[in-house]
Amino acid sequence: MAALATEDVASDDLQCGMGIDSLPTQPLHYNWVDVTDEFFSAVKGLELGQLLHDDLFGLFEAMSAIEMMDPKMDAGMLCNRGSKATLNFDQAVEVGALKLQDLCLAEEIGIIDSTLSCLVSWLEGHSLAQTVFTNLYLHKPHHIEDRVMKAFSISIFKIVDIIKDFVNRALVFEEEDFQPMVYGYRLVPDVSEPRTIGMLKEVEEELHRRTRSKPSDLCSIDEHEDVVALYSRIKFMRLLYQALVCLGRREPVGLGDCHRLLAGCSELMVTMQKTVGRGLQPEVESDHPAIMGFDPLVNQRLLPPTFPRYTKIKSRVEALEYFEELLNRLKVVCRITSHSSFHSALDFFIEFSQHGPCILSRSILQLLYLPQCNRVFGTFNFVDVLRDAAKNFIFPPALMPKSTLLNNTQAKEYVETFLNHCVRPFASLVQLCGHNRARQRDKLAHLLEDFATLQDEAERVDAYLHNLSLKSDSPRPHLACFGTWILYHTLRIMIMYLLSGFELELYSMHEYHYIFWYLYEFLYGWLVSALSRADTFLMEQEAMAESHRGRGAKKNKAKKKKTRPYGREIAMYQALQNLCGGFYKAMVGFRLDGKIKLPHTEFDNEQVRYEHRFAPFASLLTPPPMQYAEFQDMTSLLRYEKAPSSTNLYLAGCQLFHKARSMLETINTPDQEVSDLLKVSKTNFVVLKLLAGGHKKDSTNPPDFDFTGHCHFPIIRLL
Amino acid sequence: MHESETSESITKGSPEDKNTESDGKGKSSTSETSGKQKLCSWLNKNFKIEMTDGRVLIGVFLCTDRDGNVILGSCSEYLKPEDNGVIEEPRVLGLVMVPGRHIVSIHLDDITNCSGETM
Repeated sequence: MAALATEDVASDDLQCGMGIDSLPTQPLHYNWVDVTDEFFSAVKGLELGQLLHDDLFGLFEAMSAIEMMDPKMDAGMLCNRGSKATLNFDQAVEVGALKLQDLCLAEEIGIIDSTLSCLVSWLEGHSLAQTVFTNLYLHKPHHIEDRVMKAFSISIFKIVDIIKDFVNRALVFEEEDFQPMVYGYRLVPDVSEPRTIGMLKEVEEELHRRTRSKPSDLCSIDEHEDVVALYSRIKFMRLLYQALVCLGRREPVGLGDCHRLLAGCSELMVTMQKTVGRGLQPEVESDHPAIMGFDPLVNQRLLPPTFPRYTKIKSRVEALEYFEELLNRLKVVCRITSHSSFHSALDFFIEFSQHGPCILSRSILQLLYLPQCNRVFGTFNFVDVLRDAAKNFIFPPALMPKSTLLNNTQAKEYVETFLNHCVRPFASLVQLCGHNRARQRDKLAHLLEDFATLQDEAERVDAYLHNLSLKSDSPRPHLACFGTWILYHTLRIMIMYLLSGFELELYSMHEYHYIFWYLYEFLYGWLVSALSRADTFLMEQEAMAESHRGRGAKKNKAKKKKTRPYGREIAMYQALQNLCGGFYKAMVGFRLDGKIKLPHTEFDNEQVRYEHRFAPFASLLTPPPMQYAEFQDMTSLLRYEKAPSSTNLYLAGCQLFHKARSMLETINTPDQEVSDLLKVSKTNFVVLKLLAGGHKKDSTNPPDFDFTGHCHFPIIRLL
Repeated sequence: MHESETSESITKGSPEDKNTESDGKGKSSTSETSGKQKLCSWLNKNFKIEMTDGRVLIGVFLCTDRDGNVILGSCSEYLKPEDNGVIEEPRVLGLVMVPGRHIVSIHLDDITNCSGETM
């Protein structure tokens, strides 16, 4: 007993010492008294489930406590597992676990590839502390004597820094996308950009010289291969860094350099992928690179108490694949600079986002288009870009060059104010496309509120200008010009919102029919009519302009009339409308046949679901939201004199799919989207035809909806 | 609501226990109540808990139950000093719950006795 007690005292002293060193705010002295036995006998007196606590502390507070010794919550537990203590940089150097010089080629290649794996894991949302900074060489890059390792380590810091800067500036990340924390590591701000590139170049040239000496025997052939592998990696780092710097320049530049650098990276990537098997490999397959210089737990104690926990580092092969795809994405992103009109830029953003790109490419795209808010490509005023967009959309008389409408100061002010009010919602729309797909849905719902206000203002401005215009010398109707423009965008947002539910797999099968109904009966129909209105308006305007100009260009005019400006877009939306109609009819047919399992209304009310699904539309006045009662009214089969049978419905669906198909076939220069949709409409046409013919009539097996061909419009399969 | 009731029952319950318990059980109940009183007197004092994996936690004793699970507030985690005597910095954890089965020892920072020494 006595011995134990003295030991206790000794350890107490130690603890006290620690307290003084690190936590000066703590009391200087603890007077520790062992109460273990007393404590455990005292708690026996409590009843089962009884908690002993102060008045100020309750179950609510207790809930947020982290549980020690629970591997999921207790990040510190891992450090204590096993006997091997984690070594920091200095300790590792001291015991010889970390070489600062004379690294062999295999070691250098191995460390580089593993660090790249860590970098990719970071880009996929893990913390730096658990990925890149598990590389001990990065803890003190200036102490490394090996020139290859030093140049590489510094370039990694620089790249981490620049990526972090991109993501932080673009602000399209959420916690699940990206962890910007650096845990107190300094990203070598003392080494300048040219110095970094210089260091890499030096190493690169030296390696290049070595690659040129022809190998003579087997052994040196092997070495030669290693030198080539290392050379391509170092050069890759330099080109990647330069490409990122180039993309990050704040002043508007041509991206010619950038294209060249990215192309260079892609070329080197081929060699890197071929040589991925070279270099030091970990002895055992694990979730973390277990080679010299890496320790997965070295930063464990830097992590906050509750932390996501387990990090699996990507394999080297996967990491290089990621880089290959990243390079391709960056090349695509650079193309934004050729989209000078707002509408084509917006389509580019939406299209790019559909492939679920990584956080880095999403951020860079944002920064290339709107490096500062209100400045497109850093040079054009966003208001002017929007003015052009509205003008080219429908040629509002007020925005036409010879118009006298804006000589009226009041009118001018209204138009300018309206366009200025457009800036924020449209900028949010662009920014929203940079977020990950799941978050976009949420943000689309909120954006509709802004567009509802814009719609209201647009209609008022239109009405004012209309009155003004009718009184002027050259009366021109100005009804629904800005209004149609805003309506077009509002409808597209509404459609994006509804369709995203399919992509994110939010809807149950028994909900499909009203989602498709809404798209078929209203949204696509309205969108087509908005575009048709713009279309006719444009043509009238052009005809007017022609007649003003005289009869000189008569032939030209005749030619022009044939192609309607929005022909392709209208055809596309009509096809989609028919497609949705087909799905709607099919769904009602399935319900009649009892193929779809319906929830019990007392637990899962259809009205509640319906109202929840369309809740964001409630803030809109134009287009008016459709209430559940209206839905029931319009879709009731009792409306028909003779209630249609499921066969009738399948036939009707069949016709709609056929219509969709013929609409799609009229589109010239079809892209991937069109051919995917064609396949969906063709297959569904056949399926519904079979159903109408009585195929599997008696089966109550639910149909299968296969979204692999298209993420919004499924192929129906019968089981 | 509910929590404050329990805490009241702890503090209020003790005198009643004495009165209602029969003579035969009287002895054990007094030891129980004195146990509770002791625990209550330790609330909001510093505890040092050593866990089965050798880590030591220092924090304010806030709550416990019959299984000896302990909640510590403003808790810091200290690693077992290494063989060479190197001591790492403590890690701040905040509010933690230590399951009773992982507790090796508990020390109380007794300020009543040493107040004379330090003040």
